[in-house]
Amino acid sequence: MRGPLWQRTTVTLMNQASLILFAVVLVVFGLLAPAFRDPQNGLNILIQASSTGILAVGMTFVLLTAGVDLSVGAIMFVAAALSGKFVLGGGSLPMALLIMLLVGAGFGAVNGLFITRLGIMAFVVTLATRYFGRGLGLQITETRAMNLPDSFYELGAARVVGVPVPVLIFAGVVVVAHVVLTRTPFGRQIYAVGADLEAARKAGIRTRWVLWVVYMICGVCAAVAGVVALSQAPAVSPGFGNNREFLAIAAAVLGGTSLFGGRGAVFPGTVLGAVLIQTLENGLNILNVNPYLYPLITSGVIFVAVLLDSLRNGWLVRWNRRKIFVTPDEVGGNSQGLKRET
Amino acid sequence: MAIGMRVDGWLPGWLKRGVLSDHLILWLSVAYVLGMAPWATGFVSVSNAQTILAYLLPVLVVSVGLTLVLIIGGIDLSVTSIIALASVLGAKVMSGEDGWMAGNALAVPVGVLVMLAVGLGLGAVNGFTVAVCRIPAFIATLTTMMFVSGFAIWVTLSRKIGGLPAGFVMLGQNLWVATVMAVAVTWLAHGFLSRTLYGRWFYAVGQNARAALVSGVPVGRVTFWTYVASGGFAGLSAILFTAGLETGNPEMARDNLLDVVGAVVIGGTSLYGGRGRVLGTVFGVLFLALVDNSLNLVGLTFYTITMVKGGVILGAALLDTARTRILARTG
Amino acid sequence: MDENPPMRVDRLTEPLLAFRRIDKGFFGVKVLEGVSFEVHAGCALGLVGENGAGKSTLMNIVGGNLCADAGEMRWNGGRYSPRSPREAERAGVAFIHQELNLFQNLTIAENLFIGGFPRRLGLIDRRAMGERARAVLREVRLEHGPDTPVERLSAGERQLVEIAKAMMGEARLIILDEPTTSLTTRETGRLFEMVRQLRERGLALIYISHNLEQVRALCDDLVILRDGQVVGSGAMSGFTLDRMVSLMVGREITQFFPTRTSRPSTEVLLEVRGVSQPGMVRAVTFELHRGEVLGISGLMGSGRSELARILFGLDDCSAGEIRLAGECLNPLPPRERIARGMAFLTEDRRADGLCLEASVGDNITLVALGRMVGRTKAVRREEAQAAVRRMREAVRLTPGARDGQPVKTLSGGNQQKVVLAKWILNEPKVFILDEPTRGIDVGAKCEVYRLINELAGRGAGVLMISSEVEELIGMCDRILVMNRGAIGDSIEPGQFDRERILRSALHSGVLA
Repeated sequence: MRGPLWQRTTVTLMNQASLILFAVVLVVFGLLAPAFRDPQNGLNILIQASSTGILAVGMTFVLLTAGVDLSVGAIMFVAAALSGKFVLGGGSLPMALLIMLLVGAGFGAVNGLFITRLGIMAFVVTLATRYFGRGLGLQITETRAMNLPDSFYELGAARVVGVPVPVLIFAGVVVVAHVVLTRTPFGRQIYAVGADLEAARKAGIRTRWVLWVVYMICGVCAAVAGVVALSQAPAVSPGFGNNREFLAIAAAVLGGTSLFGGRGAVFPGTVLGAVLIQTLENGLNILNVNPYLYPLITSGVIFVAVLLDSLRNGWLVRWNRRKIFVTPDEVGGNSQGLKRET
Repeated sequence: MAIGMRVDGWLPGWLKRGVLSDHLILWLSVAYVLGMAPWATGFVSVSNAQTILAYLLPVLVVSVGLTLVLIIGGIDLSVTSIIALASVLGAKVMSGEDGWMAGNALAVPVGVLVMLAVGLGLGAVNGFTVAVCRIPAFIATLTTMMFVSGFAIWVTLSRKIGGLPAGFVMLGQNLWVATVMAVAVTWLAHGFLSRTLYGRWFYAVGQNARAALVSGVPVGRVTFWTYVASGGFAGLSAILFTAGLETGNPEMARDNLLDVVGAVVIGGTSLYGGRGRVLGTVFGVLFLALVDNSLNLVGLTFYTITMVKGGVILGAALLDTARTRILARTG
Repeated sequence: MDENPPMRVDRLTEPLLAFRRIDKGFFGVKVLEGVSFEVHAGCALGLVGENGAGKSTLMNIVGGNLCADAGEMRWNGGRYSPRSPREAERAGVAFIHQELNLFQNLTIAENLFIGGFPRRLGLIDRRAMGERARAVLREVRLEHGPDTPVERLSAGERQLVEIAKAMMGEARLIILDEPTTSLTTRETGRLFEMVRQLRERGLALIYISHNLEQVRALCDDLVILRDGQVVGSGAMSGFTLDRMVSLMVGREITQFFPTRTSRPSTEVLLEVRGVSQPGMVRAVTFELHRGEVLGISGLMGSGRSELARILFGLDDCSAGEIRLAGECLNPLPPRERIARGMAFLTEDRRADGLCLEASVGDNITLVALGRMVGRTKAVRREEAQAAVRRMREAVRLTPGARDGQPVKTLSGGNQQKVVLAKWILNEPKVFILDEPTRGIDVGAKCEVYRLINELAGRGAGVLMISSEVEELIGMCDRILVMNRGAIGDSIEPGQFDRERILRSALHSGVLA
């Protein structure tokens, strides 16, 4: 029989499963590849992680409400295609960026509208808008790759006080998202809506409005992610942003966000998840691993993290059940509370 | 709720009966064919019916599998990647160019078995992770999808595999054979769900897994076998796809997730679990295939068609919510 | 109604809330008809009635979830017709629902302020929030910091958080809907003390409960609803328990617990020897005989429900032996135990008793369906339908319910009858009932008792777990009292005594 202490330690360790996995990945790559240890490489990882990271931050908002947004990759695509077209037609860069943000907000608003006003499941709505968006993007780009002027590239290469702009944008998004989620009434209401929609409505929260804004936020984040992606490789290919939604969901889940709503955090959670995924790719790249193997290894690591998490949950449930009568009546009620969750 | 109350008032009786009909999507399909016939030349013809059928059958098979998963309240995002891997591995076995069993008389049966085994095996992996490891189905099948599609691409180094033996290609190109296979499994699934004890267990698990467990339903086993079945259907679908297109393709069916989920949703199966019918899925697949085909004939580009299909699915989902609300009103 | 003494007249002020001829119907069915009564500040009003009498509808109208079809409400002398929960809240109505509306993932303070956080520069002013929360928590005497996550609180503590929330909102009327069903005796006591204090402070309270004794002990005024109409109202002193029940039911219930004609035999059906599971139950040993109704009493958290789950195979059992008719059941899953004649009515009907979306017929046949299939496992439909008909009659399900109707549309009592029908159809030998009458009305309770007697008469062994001591005394042949996971006392027939049962349940000397 496992002793409680043994279990407690394991559970504590497993609470930090992603962090430990991250540490393991760092140590392994650090030992295998000297180039990996270069501080500049750390910065590179952050730059590479920023696009997916921003996408995942938006996704975290949606997942916190027990929803999902499968359309973010398509939003990236449409936003990039439209603004690319605009720039190639002689438009200015700031205007182009604004267009992207508007496209993101617009898509998010449509998603939110269908989900909150018409009561269709987020999965179905965003799957439909995902294909709608991909179709629209292909139409705009005429299914050809679109090379953008260097102004985008310059944006990506620029540095502000030594920090590359993509990392700066990433950091900005994370800080804002973190403050919104933890320090504003709106943020706490998101958690409430995700935990229990009906109770949130009864508590006087404007649940539809909250959900609607959440999908808008996710759409805007997708557009920003698109900007950052363009700044690193200024071209809109027909596959731009394709299947990125799955990577974003994986990053958020790696960071401990629950798919059932109400639990999770942008910082450190989602950021850690996104950086972990990118670190893997970076390290494998430095080690000259066959690029075909990247998705296999990445999904393998994600699987391990998710598996550890569900094992931990299973143990917690058993462990909590065990305490039911340790102190009946007075504290016994406590176990009732825990029991209710099982 | 507020919307539902309004809906009830303004719908005329015949329309309400129509909306509530179990065969609503079938009627809509018929109406669609009649409405589109004058615009799309060659829409109503034997050769076009064959085209539609060839497009429809593989999607139907995998959709039926997904219907089972949705009914128990799960989701399987990995079906399209399973199709891709089964397609690739089957082709690797059978291909006359550099297949492992090229020229062998047993190449075709072994290839077919490999494809089915890939489906069932990966289904079992999904089933194990969901039912035993208790990982949420969405994330479990998502990681499977990522891994399997990566694997399919790695195995082939993103190349398509041609040179499949005629005996195999026949399975998909001879519509009689393909139809018989697809209809047989669909009919089996339908009978299984609607008539047998096990079918009732599926619905019970989807409606309330805890209550089902207390009532003696082996919830874990039901869940496991559902994913195995879903994988198996994907494997069979891969046979039809691969034979129909005469190539093993690591990106096969990658963009069919919309068609599959869409068809199931149009057919009235709920993503919340516990509600849905195989027959509805058949209608859903049919309707989407008709839309796809007719718009092709009208000369729209594939990306425009994709956009329209996205809209159709939203519309169907809307119809379904309206339906549920009317049902709740009228009891 | 005239013979009732008038409500307390020492209040010169206007009523805080007055209902004037409220009507409400759903799809042509009248749910409320001409309901008129008044609620006064500084006064607790008990609202009782069977399930479906219209209590919840009325309270939903007060709380702004529904609108009345006719009639008006007056609040503090002015017209009152809230169109949303928010509006009602702003007027000063606080609603404490049967199912608590707290967010377990948030802290106590966040739950208190979720409707309107104190802000500074657009951000939540945590310090102000913490201070105000601490102050109100002190008032309700909850010894937890405001930053404690609600998921760590017990059911009773959560109830107190709800009350704190009501007090935060400057509520003038607090509606409590069955607040004590999930509380321990101690917690209930604490809640009542709180309620009395609130009343002293001049708040008005509406207390809805099926527990008539509690209503009597707590409330000043009483309103009884039956079929959407007020059938009795006035000062509490004018009502005896019997009168309350007869008004609620519309008939005198002469014999509440039906007498059983059969006697238990000496044949042992279920033999439990030294069943233990760390933290749940300790060395539980007893025998259940054919035709016996064996009661299990004990406080919440005493291991009653856990014992039931272990007996049914839903939880592990680390030591001991469970034998059904001589056969050892220990390693078997619930499915196999059901096949050997076990049945289990769980305490939480909605969570693990029923498939709420499924139809009445599908729910009734879920367990026994395995007997109605041929070799191909195809269900024989006529047989299943006939079984459903038979069971509906046996449990006297409301004739209004159709076989195809979703169970969630039935009242609590009828839902419970469906659960019973589901198990009885399988002809159980040993039936474990965990709180079989929780949250159902008086009429349905009687039916449940009748069915239990019938089962025992047919030779089944019934294990009846209940928090209501009267119920056990009225129904059982023998009563076991559980305390801290072990059986503290076994009381033979003829020695049943409310006090003795309570004393053994509270054995450790913490009598509240």
